[in-house]
Amino acid sequence: MAMTRTERALFEIGGPKTRRRILIGTIISAVLLAVLLAWVIYRFYEKGQLDYRYWYFFAQSNVLAFLGAGLLGTMRAALGAGAIALVVGMFLMLCRTSSIKPLSWIATTLIEFLRGTPTLLFIYFLFLVPAQFGVHMSTYWMVVIPTSAYASAVLAEVYRAGVAAVPSGQKEAGISLGLSDSQNFRFIVMPQMLRIVTPTLVAQLVVVVKDTTFGYVVTYPELMVNAKVVIANFSSLVPVYLVVAIIYVLINYAISQCANWLSHRNSIDILV
Amino acid sequence: MGADLSHLLNAYGTQFLSSYWVSLRIALLAFAGGFLLGTLLTVARVSPIPPLRGAVNVYVETFRNAPVLCVLIFIVYALPDLGVVIDYEPSVIIALILVSSAFACDNLRTGINTIDAGQIEAARALGMGFGPIVSSIVLPQAFRSVIQPMVTLFISVVISSSAGSLVPLAHKELTGLVAEINNHEALGILTFLIASLLYVCTGLVIAFFGRKVERRLAIWR
Repeated sequence: MAMTRTERALFEIGGPKTRRRILIGTIISAVLLAVLLAWVIYRFYEKGQLDYRYWYFFAQSNVLAFLGAGLLGTMRAALGAGAIALVVGMFLMLCRTSSIKPLSWIATTLIEFLRGTPTLLFIYFLFLVPAQFGVHMSTYWMVVIPTSAYASAVLAEVYRAGVAAVPSGQKEAGISLGLSDSQNFRFIVMPQMLRIVTPTLVAQLVVVVKDTTFGYVVTYPELMVNAKVVIANFSSLVPVYLVVAIIYVLINYAISQCANWLSHRNSIDILV
Repeated sequence: MGADLSHLLNAYGTQFLSSYWVSLRIALLAFAGGFLLGTLLTVARVSPIPPLRGAVNVYVETFRNAPVLCVLIFIVYALPDLGVVIDYEPSVIIALILVSSAFACDNLRTGINTIDAGQIEAARALGMGFGPIVSSIVLPQAFRSVIQPMVTLFISVVISSSAGSLVPLAHKELTGLVAEINNHEALGILTFLIASLLYVCTGLVIAFFGRKVERRLAIWR
């Protein structure tokens, strides 16, 4: 990662004494990190976790296809929830910033409520409560509705911050041209706001992907659930969970990097 | 609904309170641990020792991007196969510490970058070494400029403590308790509403005190 000016000042090259100390520190910490890594690998070896029988099935096409199907399930849920949140978040933001006070209050309460409630609690709710009333819901929606509800509330705030970040002169210029409020919003504010929030929207996809792992609770066939099935078939716990964790980290890392790239390219900060 | 509410409070009122306390306990310990570990990691991340910086970067990118559920499941179900057995509640706390420390470290990094490089150069000109510069110039200012993101992090740790419902805790936390009650009785909407309000209000209270702390301590640039 590129260093900032402050960080470069901290790393400034010292005199001969400091350089020697840094060299010694570098060697010691490199050795310690290597020892730590070796110890972890030895631990795996000692407990037989490196045995062939725990790893060979990763080369089998049906296992890979099954994990791939899980990954597809994760993406289906994440993209579904993301798409809903893009629209509902916009709607919530418009209500919150509306000049009709009661509407704005309701939207504000709803946003705080959705943002403050754990997604997992909402998933249990959809898992347990509709069934009590004889309503049956697919596991896909049990995951997607809570995930998108949380993301909608967050995106509403992101959009709001985006609107606030559009220079006020733009809106004033629109008014002086005789545009109505809605025209002003649609043609002047909205296009600029969308540009400002794009990197943040991409960054928020990471949260959505993470939330889809709660499909584990309702056994919606996503990556975690399919991993569990593979574990049951091959009784290989550590390798499968490790591989799955790495897959999640890589996907989310790629999404974060994409958001960072967008943010650098257009020199727009990622809003929190 | 009134009858349901009184039944609920009579039958489960104390359990609600104790479960709420378990959630808070998990969140407090996890945030405190995450904050401390995040600070240590930050010091390593700005140290002049390249392997440490590299290791911290890998750590932060890993735990910022790993789902809490994934980390927790690994600790609870996979680590015993490697000979590491941890009780359920500490497992939840450790999982949350790992994740929140990565975010805390990232917040502090942002905070450090708000400090003008000239301050560090001035300190160096006065003959201060890395340790004194970090402990008396960089960290105090970094802490004070990231109060708001840290408060947000604390609130998300409270919310994430609901991951405790995925493992059989000896004392159930709030989400786990609500799920359990609904396995026995059809009190659905009400129990969930109460639990949800507890989470939301906790978040609002934390945000309120966070703003107070920020007004007193924050550095406005």
